[in-house]
Amino acid sequence: MSQNTLASLSGVRKRFGKVQALDGFDLEVKRGELLAVLGPNGAGKSTAISLLLGLQTADEGSAELFGHAPQEIDGRRRIGVMMQEVALASAMRPRELLAQVASYYPIPYDVDAVIARLSLQGLLKRPYGKLSGGQKRQVQFALAICGRPELLFLDEPTVGLDVQAREALWKVIRELLHEGCSIVLTTHYLEEAEALANRVVVMARGRLVTSGSVDEIRANVSHKQVSCVTRLNADTVRAWPEVLRLDMERDRMQITTRGAEAVLVRLFREDPALSDVEVKRAGLAEAFTELTNEKNKEAS
Amino acid sequence: MNATVHMPAGRLWAAYFGEIRFEFIKALRTPQFAVPTLFFPIMFYALFALTLGGRGNGGSLTSFANYGVFGCMGPGLFGFGVAMAIERELGLLTLKQALPSPAGAYLIARAVMAMLFVSLISLMLMTLAVLFAHVPMTLGQAVQVFCVNVLGTLPFCAIGMFVGSMVSGQAAVAICNLIFLPMSFLSGLWFPLQMLPKFLVDIAPIWPAYNLSQLALHAVDAPSAGSPATHVLALALITVVFFFFAMRRMQRGGYRMLGARPRRTLTLVTGAGALVVALLFSGVFGGKPASKEDATAATDAASASSNTPVSEAPAGVAAPAVAVIADFDHGSAAAPYGTGWVAAADDSQGGNSKSSQRVIDNGAAGSKGALEVTGEVGNALQYPFAGTMFFPEGIPMQGLMDYSGKKTLSFQTRGDGGRYKVLVLSGTPMISIPLMIDFEAGAEWHEVRLEIANLGAADFKRVRGIGIGSMGPTGPFRFEIDDVRVE
Repeated sequence: MSQNTLASLSGVRKRFGKVQALDGFDLEVKRGELLAVLGPNGAGKSTAISLLLGLQTADEGSAELFGHAPQEIDGRRRIGVMMQEVALASAMRPRELLAQVASYYPIPYDVDAVIARLSLQGLLKRPYGKLSGGQKRQVQFALAICGRPELLFLDEPTVGLDVQAREALWKVIRELLHEGCSIVLTTHYLEEAEALANRVVVMARGRLVTSGSVDEIRANVSHKQVSCVTRLNADTVRAWPEVLRLDMERDRMQITTRGAEAVLVRLFREDPALSDVEVKRAGLAEAFTELTNEKNKEAS
Repeated sequence: MNATVHMPAGRLWAAYFGEIRFEFIKALRTPQFAVPTLFFPIMFYALFALTLGGRGNGGSLTSFANYGVFGCMGPGLFGFGVAMAIERELGLLTLKQALPSPAGAYLIARAVMAMLFVSLISLMLMTLAVLFAHVPMTLGQAVQVFCVNVLGTLPFCAIGMFVGSMVSGQAAVAICNLIFLPMSFLSGLWFPLQMLPKFLVDIAPIWPAYNLSQLALHAVDAPSAGSPATHVLALALITVVFFFFAMRRMQRGGYRMLGARPRRTLTLVTGAGALVVALLFSGVFGGKPASKEDATAATDAASASSNTPVSEAPAGVAAPAVAVIADFDHGSAAAPYGTGWVAAADDSQGGNSKSSQRVIDNGAAGSKGALEVTGEVGNALQYPFAGTMFFPEGIPMQGLMDYSGKKTLSFQTRGDGGRYKVLVLSGTPMISIPLMIDFEAGAEWHEVRLEIANLGAADFKRVRGIGIGSMGPTGPFRFEIDDVRVE
């Protein structure tokens, strides 16, 4: 294992009953990167993460965390974890929860420093069970980082957060990354991956679809988006062969296509009054949809 | 770079202690757990044993010991059974596994939490027993029963773990209650086992609460069945078996409750645990007879010499000022305190003597009534007995009454001319040789008067029972008594 690989899965297979959750999957988490793991539900993201955390063992292949089996405590003393579906002790206050989790680590951050960094001061008097969903997520994030982890696993960290809280969390994530902490992020918010990730791994059906930087993934995708204001009937345009998808946003027409040039020519021909034309490369969301769709088609 | 990050030993210990503290505070702040487990035993004890149990009854060491065992069950059973099932469902156990929580910390913290709860319950029961119910308990007995209770938490922790590993939180509540209440009942914690059908009595030794209650009874020198070593062994076996199956079940669900190297954790924990248990039990039971049943039955010849009162045991309940125990003038054999007079014979000990009694007219000195006792002395036992008994403290044989402030025991008697005996059963252990005094029941009423000061062989500070009856010769007998007094 390379000095710069903090965690890895090699050739792992994992089956739950009839479902092949992972089917020969490889993953390497490198020092200093924020790796976003994307994929539709059932793609095997959670299984891959549980293997890295030692919550499951692979049927085949191996998982390593800092050169140890993830079941060994040594590797896990260097990671922080924020899980999606967990209910912490509702009778305990945030500071007590933080002190407990911090006690597991050799050199944790000072609990008060974590509280200050995430602006949790207002939540300290209430037991965890009385906090709102968003506040609970903030406390869970604090628990994930309080051990001064070298590698942080974040599963849907911003679900339930308002825009402000999400921006604040992103800021801390970027700071941690800047301080040298590596992060594995699983998220449904593609803009979150776009905003934060250095590298993206797209999974489908237990396999790797593609990996690369956000830009590389986007470049791999031939989709473009044409946006314009036109008198043409949406259904008429939707019926054109080049148009993959059409959405109306007030009076703007959003067209997703592989042949932007052909669509543009036809648009101008049929509506000389066409205005406000924009053409852009598809976002991660569109790229992601296309990649996983292709994978699904291949598989079926 | 991939070298192990060193966790200083001090921090590791602190993590374990922090986990225990966390679990304890969490349990205290969870009213649905803390309130029933902490207060039900106290409440039941105060209500059923002390208030409803009637004068004398509740103040006994027996009910104190049994309610203590009742208190042992809840924290382990519900703390693991329900709480672990819920935390498993909520994903908390999964998170703990992903975090570098030290090996076994969750289980150790939970078990210690349960033991701390049991300590609190045990101390509260003791306070209630000594201060309000005046249960005669020595410091030594208190320490012993405390240790039995605290260690007795563990089998219930193991059973709770098993339940918590199998079912959902909702189901666990139901199952734990189904274990908790019926087992208390079937183990004789609330009512004497003898009140249950025979087959339930016979299977009682399979219940951990039964084994624990026998140990607790032994610890307070109350009558108990079986040898302590057997009970300890049974409890250890129950603990190990349930723990093993619970851990196997958790392991299959992907939970490494004992860390990455379960054997090592288990060896360390059980090694330390076994050492503590061995030390405590050798301290608790060292120097005690293996079983109270070893003591032999009464012998006439030995009665005068060998039954020396045991001075270090606590004295019985102070005797009421009233002198007359029974005058039988109101149609009953009742007494102003204690059980009243009841016909008694050795058939309860396997003998074939028979005794019956009734209140009749024409008592001594022209009084209205007297007690007639008739029966037949059998030949099955070496030392038969048939007659009537009075248990001053209320619980037959187990309750102790302090008659040391009284001077005489007297009564009127007449009968078939045979020779009869006054028996004073006293002191500790419970089954020891009673004091026996001969008297003759002639055709006319006359008084039998015993000077307590002259009866040194009985322990009048701790009187369990007074008997009047025949110990032979074999055959039918009949006598009457009236105006029994201790004054």
